[in-house]
Amino acid sequence: MLLELSEIFKWVTTGGNRTYLLKGINIEVQEGEFISLMGPSGSGKSTLLNVIGMLDHFDEGVYHFLDEPVQNLKEKHRIELYKKYIGFVFQSYHLMDDLTVYENIEMPLLYQKYSSSERKALVADMLDRFNIVGKKNLFPTQLSGGQQQLVGIARALISKPKLILADEPTGNLNSKQSEEIMQLFKKLNEEDGVTIIQATHSEANASYGSRTIHLLDGRMVKG
Amino acid sequence: MIKHNLLLFFRNIKKYKVTFFINLIGLSTGLASVILIYLWVNDELKINAFHENDSHIYQVMQNLPEGDDIDTIIETPGLLARSLKSDIPEIKYASNVIAPNWFENEKGIISHEDTYFKARGQFVEKDYLKIFSWEIIQGDKNTVLTDKNTVLLSEAFAKKLFPDTTDIIGKTIDWVQESSSGKYVVNGVFKDVSNNSTAQFDVLFNYESILEANASNFKKWSNSNPETFVLLQEGSNIKQVNAKIKNYRREKYQSLRGTKYLHYIGTLFLQKYSDRYLYNVYENGVQTGGRIEYIFLFSIIAIFLLVIACINFMNLSTAKATTRLKEIGVKKVIGAHRKSLIKQFLFESLIMISFSLCVAFLTVILILPEFNHITGKSISLSLSLEVVLIILGITLVTGFIAGSYPALYLSRFRPIRILKGKLDTSIGETWARKGLVIIQFSISLILIVSVFIIHQQINFVQNKNLGYNKDNVIAISSEGNLYESNASFISEIKNIPGVLKATSFGHDLVGDAGGTGGVNWEGKDPNANIQFSNLEIDFDWFELLEIEVLQGRVFSDEYGNNEDKIIFNEAAIAIMGLKEPIGKTVKVWGKDRQIIGVVKDFHFESLHERVKPCMMQYYADLSNVLVKIKSGTENKTLSKIGAVYKEFNPGLTFEYKFIDDDYQSLYTAEKRVATLSKYFASIAFIVSCLGLFGLAAFTVEKKRKEIGIRKTLGQGTQQIVMLLSGEFMKLVFTAIAIGLPIGYLIITNWLSRFEYTIDLQISYFLIAGFTVLALACIAVGFQTVNAASRNPIDALREE
Repeated sequence: MLLELSEIFKWVTTGGNRTYLLKGINIEVQEGEFISLMGPSGSGKSTLLNVIGMLDHFDEGVYHFLDEPVQNLKEKHRIELYKKYIGFVFQSYHLMDDLTVYENIEMPLLYQKYSSSERKALVADMLDRFNIVGKKNLFPTQLSGGQQQLVGIARALISKPKLILADEPTGNLNSKQSEEIMQLFKKLNEEDGVTIIQATHSEANASYGSRTIHLLDGRMVKG
Repeated sequence: MIKHNLLLFFRNIKKYKVTFFINLIGLSTGLASVILIYLWVNDELKINAFHENDSHIYQVMQNLPEGDDIDTIIETPGLLARSLKSDIPEIKYASNVIAPNWFENEKGIISHEDTYFKARGQFVEKDYLKIFSWEIIQGDKNTVLTDKNTVLLSEAFAKKLFPDTTDIIGKTIDWVQESSSGKYVVNGVFKDVSNNSTAQFDVLFNYESILEANASNFKKWSNSNPETFVLLQEGSNIKQVNAKIKNYRREKYQSLRGTKYLHYIGTLFLQKYSDRYLYNVYENGVQTGGRIEYIFLFSIIAIFLLVIACINFMNLSTAKATTRLKEIGVKKVIGAHRKSLIKQFLFESLIMISFSLCVAFLTVILILPEFNHITGKSISLSLSLEVVLIILGITLVTGFIAGSYPALYLSRFRPIRILKGKLDTSIGETWARKGLVIIQFSISLILIVSVFIIHQQINFVQNKNLGYNKDNVIAISSEGNLYESNASFISEIKNIPGVLKATSFGHDLVGDAGGTGGVNWEGKDPNANIQFSNLEIDFDWFELLEIEVLQGRVFSDEYGNNEDKIIFNEAAIAIMGLKEPIGKTVKVWGKDRQIIGVVKDFHFESLHERVKPCMMQYYADLSNVLVKIKSGTENKTLSKIGAVYKEFNPGLTFEYKFIDDDYQSLYTAEKRVATLSKYFASIAFIVSCLGLFGLAAFTVEKKRKEIGIRKTLGQGTQQIVMLLSGEFMKLVFTAIAIGLPIGYLIITNWLSRFEYTIDLQISYFLIAGFTVLALACIAVGFQTVNAASRNPIDALREE
């Protein structure tokens, strides 16, 4: 089992009132699954992804990632854990405008122990695989949205994560670009065995996944 | 990683050029100022401290009762050194020293055959060379100066006098200087005295020769002439030695002369020789500072300048945070620890400061000559290991301090929040930034107020009516043949058409008048110790200096004998309480003197001193010749006087000084402070304004949306400008409210060194405050007007 969430609650307190963002979430994810999180805006998709990605805290419940109890880990260990096993893909790509395609993809490796020749090899491999060798010296603003997201995915994959968390990865793309990106996810999932959890609005995108979880007001509902 | 960080750094610079230049200018001028001040301080601290035995060399100081005060002087009795050495076991070596300036004319004339030079002679005892480590390059250190007719020459003078030979031991030289004149045999050569010594001399004589020539004066325990230096035994307790010597002179005096006049005899104490230069001011017997104050002052200014530059860096870095949120967020998401981000930001500030150091070095190299000119030093940028280490140290510490706040601040953000573009700005932060701006401007304002008022005071001092006219008056020392008979010299130069008047004078007008308590008059309180300054003057003296005579007349040969007459200034008459003083008789040193005139008070000392009671007595052939020259004919007249001088002193160069220059040199220290602080204050202020300019730019940028919304809702450009500027102006007003009172305290403290000062007017402070406000307005206004006049749609479309 890759990860297990049981009875996860998350809330914010405003003016003495608790507003629940997540309410009793129970999910088990096996390695190799491709899960889509669906639900309207504000249903808690992003929050759940952030909790799974350890970028955000939860207030109650138990979360095991590869049998490690996440709620008991110190921040430093949490970072070590997600740095090693999780890659993030964002709706608005979050590429660094001041770095080239090559440098953007290389960046995660800088925070892990790789020699510069290993880094070169890994980045070259990735550029090759995504067919963007010719664009390696361009800056993100010189690329189309689809290409930028490609770079974003390449960056997420470079450190060989077990899990990719994608928050509306195609939200800023047109339908053709969307389809390409989803095909790529599917391929990664099937051929490389990467576990993928994506948050999405679109039924079409959700259908690429092996399982869909519906959220409403922070609760899991039957689809 | 480093490569990446460098790349990000440089691409950031490209994007935010203005910020980069503000930081570069601020940090590099800050560093350049600090380097200059460090070089200067370092040079000052090394003065006199280069002797091998430095830690054990002491000077004997004397606290002399003077009226109700204590006067601390360096002169001591002529037999003190040898006497102390035999009586106090802690004293290993001791030497009395007569320095060149003990003589009325500082320079004597040294000659060999037909070569004449003016030279400074210093008279020392055998132990002198064991106390101080002057290098003897010819002759035997242990045997030189054993015979009282021998001398040591400096290397430079040995070459000047004996250009053809290096074998000069045993040669004879002639020396002319008051009581020390005579023939001497050279028995050694010493290496020229370095610039970082306050003792400057060209010839070393045996003290015995001057002791014998002035035996009746020097051998008395009631008189003080030479200075005394001692070398203490290793491990001596200075407190114990001080206790032993405190009443040493008084006991010696009492055992010979009893208790009569014992209350005029001073007590002794030791001061470390190398401390004398920095701690040179005593008030009422207590050490109250001296040059060390300027060291402190400028060190503080240096720190201020760096602080101001660091504040700019911190403020701009944190204000700029919005532009780097994504970078920080992304880095955290892909696994960067906070530590690695802190490292990155510190690294950036260190690169920034390294850049600034390079610029600072160039600046220092460029302005060092001018700096030397202002400070009267000859500092060179010699990169000794010590200097390099200290400068690097300062740079690193600055980089670290400037970088630490932004590093801690920026690395703290939670990634998911900032990736959503939200920046949690706490009230604390905003206040920190505002507080820093207030500090900057308060410091700038304090400096500006001080500089402004210092300048007013210096102007006042330079233009004050001194009670005499110093314009176009030169002073010539009666040296060489003039010493014996300057009357004929004076009568000859009076024939030169450009010479309006000429006279002789025993002193100068900048404070070398001696003092005496030996004046008695009818009705004087027998217990009062009232000191009178004593000026020895010749005919025509009052006329030449245009001093106003209030009652009676001045010295003249028309009324017979002048030697038993005396003239007082107003202050003297007032303190004596004499009504209708003309014709009355007073006793000076036991002899009757008839008062023939009273003159208006004039400043015979610097304006640091109140005009004291002063008596003037007639003498002929005094040590300085004063000449009033017709204005417009200076060059012609001076060359004619020079020609006459050469007739009297063949072979010597004609030297003279304008007494106005002499007067101006009284305030050299103040003028230096004024000039330097003017520059440093300007730098501080400009850098502060640059910082405000940058900060305003970012604030305005952050508020683009707000401005856009306000404009679409119909608010006018003017109102928006007011709104935006108001925030900054509040800070500047607060700074003014803090800075002005502090500035006032500092400046009143400084002015208290002068007895005669400008009146502090409220307008001085208003002008300074207004200047700061106006320039700050420009810095902020530039940004706000720009932002307020933009099309609001541009701002809103981005959302």
